This record gives sequence, structure tokens and C-alpha cells, in this order.
Amino acid sequence: MAKLNFLDCNCSVGRVSRPYLGDVSDAEGLRREMDAAGIEEALVFHTMARDASPPLGNGMLKEAIADDPGLHPVWVVLPHHTGETPPPDKLLGEMEANDVRAVRLYPGKDHHSFSLAEWSCGPLLSALEEARVPLMLDIEIVWWEAIQPILENRPNLPIIATNVSYRHNRFTYPLFERYDNIYIETTRYFGAGNFEDVVERFGPRRILFGTNMPACTGTAAVSMLTYADIPREAKEAIAGGTIRSLMKEALS
Amino acid sequence: MTDYFDRVHEGQPIDDFEIIDFHAHLGPYFNMHIPKSTSEEMIWMMDRCGIDKTIVSPTPALCADLVYGNDVMLDTVKRHRGRIYGAVTVNGNYPEISVDELNRCFEADRDVVLVKLHPILNGCRMDDKRMKGVYEFASERKLFILVHTWLDQDAYGNQDLFASVAKDYPDINWLMGHSGGPFGSHRAVEIAQELPNVFLDLTMSLVPARQIEFFIGEVGAERVIFGTDNPFIDPRPQIGRLCLADITQEERALIMGGNARRYIEFG
Repeated sequence: MAKLNFLDCNCSVGRVSRPYLGDVSDAEGLRREMDAAGIEEALVFHTMARDASPPLGNGMLKEAIADDPGLHPVWVVLPHHTGETPPPDKLLGEMEANDVRAVRLYPGKDHHSFSLAEWSCGPLLSALEEARVPLMLDIEIVWWEAIQPILENRPNLPIIATNVSYRHNRFTYPLFERYDNIYIETTRYFGAGNFEDVVERFGPRRILFGTNMPACTGTAAVSMLTYADIPREAKEAIAGGTIRSLMKEALS
Repeated sequence: MTDYFDRVHEGQPIDDFEIIDFHAHLGPYFNMHIPKSTSEEMIWMMDRCGIDKTIVSPTPALCADLVYGNDVMLDTVKRHRGRIYGAVTVNGNYPEISVDELNRCFEADRDVVLVKLHPILNGCRMDDKRMKGVYEFASERKLFILVHTWLDQDAYGNQDLFASVAKDYPDINWLMGHSGGPFGSHRAVEIAQELPNVFLDLTMSLVPARQIEFFIGEVGAERVIFGTDNPFIDPRPQIGRLCLADITQEERALIMGGNARRYIEFG
């Protein structure tokens, strides 16, 4: 049987202030981790954009991953009101010029200190929805109650919840039942039998392969999928098929 | 790329050495939905990836009634002889009952093989004087105690508390559950380097890259023990993690089963 073709939707480059263990901060280090796990491609943001300044980190990203065609850029953005991120139309143009087909937001007072509500992020969310650009939200930062209104009001905006825990089925299942535009990423989605259960109830397209490399190993998420008792087509969709479709649709 | 690369990517069970899961549970848990949590489902997941034996402490024993949970453990061990082994759960808030449970369970079945302690769930510090009877029981018999530990934000079972108690009871083999969590690796090896009766557990949901290689480099494969947290966490991620780690075959076999065999007689 041919090896699955993985596209990891939750990777980064850049040094962090408090690493789990090692100092793997560049694209070469990320590629070594990917090769060890057998992961071909990845969506990558720069930790400087999350931990220091979105414009600074986004600006560093292009050069940081330039030598590896398997690494695809993701920007961390802000609502435009302060001028740190351009107005939505201009932002989308810059994204297209830099082949950026997904964005991340880190709202809340302990992170980038803005509101995800309509009065703040409404124009940005409208533009992303119009362009079908996937929005990634770290579930450790944006809780399910804040995601639900976006799913309700913006049915064409794909939302990818990252770092979804093995403990979250009681949140995710009702959202899967109601909304077609919610996706979850697999770095911590290690509940016993989760893949079999979700695929049987909802199909495979809600689960997107992700690892949080290079902070975390990619090997664990790989074997969670390869040893799953689900059809081959479902494994292909989770490994990369669904996210590739979303990326293709974005900005098209 | 390791020799197991193709087998992991094809989802083939690992069957060329014995795999013993030293850290597992059983049953439902109040805080989450677990699609597969029965003993039969646990064995099904073990068979999918090649785990031969597992040692369980049922979750109801950790978060509710230790006696009920230990009863479930004894029944499960009896029903799955040779596949499932037992860990007796103790709770410092119930010192007399805990010692009674140790006597009852170890006498009841030869496949009861270790002690499980979860200080933060019980809200009882590891060094609480009420734990003395449990530690004396384990010392006399030179047992393993598996303790849930975390680097910080754990007033009951943080790594420094763990180290101080492990130092006080050198005849107990202490397994540092989760090795202090994703940020705990450096402190974990410091403690293991200082105390020869401390072993490092690999169970975790946020799995630091190269942690296994780091542990082996700092304390040797003989001090690292395979666990999964099944069914709290699916056991299958741990197979990829171990089989794709940049370690020797000898080290892999020691961690995944050899070390458990050295210390415990599995019937």
C-alpha cells in the first residue's frame, strides 16, 4: 500500500522563549523532524509573529522557509484598526502575492489584545470568508463558545481549531452536527478511538493532520492515523486531502 | 529513518519484541468522552499496534472511589489473564483504606504488580504524613509506585515533591508519571541522575520532540519505561513515537518491555 501523503497544518519556525525541550528553530530543523516522522509538507507560521509582533514575524517567514518548497506560509494577522495589519482588501492582496492561503488570530487580553467580536474583527472575517481563506484559532486561546458564533454567522469561512485536546469531544460533536465549516487539528487529538468514532459519525473531512512540530514530535500523530481502523480514503483525507482542497479553494 | 518506518506507515503491529504498557487506566472519566474505554476495547487497540501487556488503574479509582476502582481492576485482571495486569490505586485522604486495599489486592491476585498514586486528583500532597503507611508497605515489598507528576502548577505532586519523597524511600521504585509534563524533561533527568530508584515515564499528549533521545542520553534506556495512558489517551501514538525515535533496537526493546520484565514477574 502506498504511503500516505501528509500535509501538516500546524507547524512553525522561530525560537521561543520557553521551549519544551530542544532548540529547533529553523526550517532545516523542522524538515529533519518532518523526515523522521515521514511528513512531506507543512503549513508554517513564524513564532515571532505569535510571540513578538505579527508584522515582524510575517516578514521573517518568507526568507525563513524559502529554501524548502514543501513548507507553505501562514500569516498571523490582526484587525486593521491600528494600522499594524493592512485593511482587509489590501491584506488579501499581499497574501496572494506571497502565496499565503491561511491565517491565524490570537485574540484576548493575554495574547494580541484585541476582540474577536464583530465590532473589531467583522471586516477581517468578512474578507476571509469571501475569499474562503481558512482561519486557524488555537483552542487554548479561543474557547469553543467564542468560535460558535463565527461558525453560525459565517458559514463559508473555514475555521481550523488547532491544539484540540483529546478531552474535547463533548464540544466538537455538537459543532460537527450543526456546522460544515469547523475543522480540528490533530496535535493533541489522541482520545482513545477518536478517529474511528468521528469518521463513523461525521466522515473524515473534519479532521486535519497536524503535529505542532518542531516543539512536538510528528511521530505520534502519524501513528495515531496509520494504525486507525478507518478506510484508506478516510486516512488520505485526514493526512492531507482535505487541507489541500481548502488551500486550493482559498483566494481562488 | 528507522527500520520501523515502513511498518508504522503501513499500520502493521510491532511483533518482534515484547511491548508492555506500564501506565494505563480503564473505564470512563468525568471530564471527557472516551469512544473506546472498556477492557475489550483497550485490548483491541493494543492488538492494532502490537502491545502485549498492560497495567491498569481504573479511572473511577483515581477520581472517585478507590475501593470500587480496585474491585474493577481485580475483576479485569481475572478476565484478561496474561494481557491485563493490575495497579492498586491509593489515596492519602483515606490512609487506612489505602493500606487495606494494598493488602487486599496484592493478596487477591498475583497479577497485581504495582501501586498507583495521583496526588493532584486526590488533593493530597505526596509528602502528607497520611501517606506513610502506603510508602512503608511499598518499601517492604520493593514495589513500583507510579505517581502523576508535573513540573509546576501542581501543589500536590510536582517534581520537587516527588524527588523529596523518592529520596526518603529508596527501597521503592518510583515511576515519574508523565516525567513532569511537556516542560518537565530537564528536571526529570536531574532527579533521575540523583536518585537511582527513579524511572522516567513517557506518557503524554503534548509530546516534546526528541524527548526519548534526550532521556536516553542523560540517564540511559534502562531508566525509561513505556506507557500510554490507554484509554485516557489512545495507545497508538506512542508506537510511532518509540518506533520512529532515533535510538538503537536494544534501547527500544528495553524501554518498551525489557525494563518492565527486569522488575516485575508477569505471570
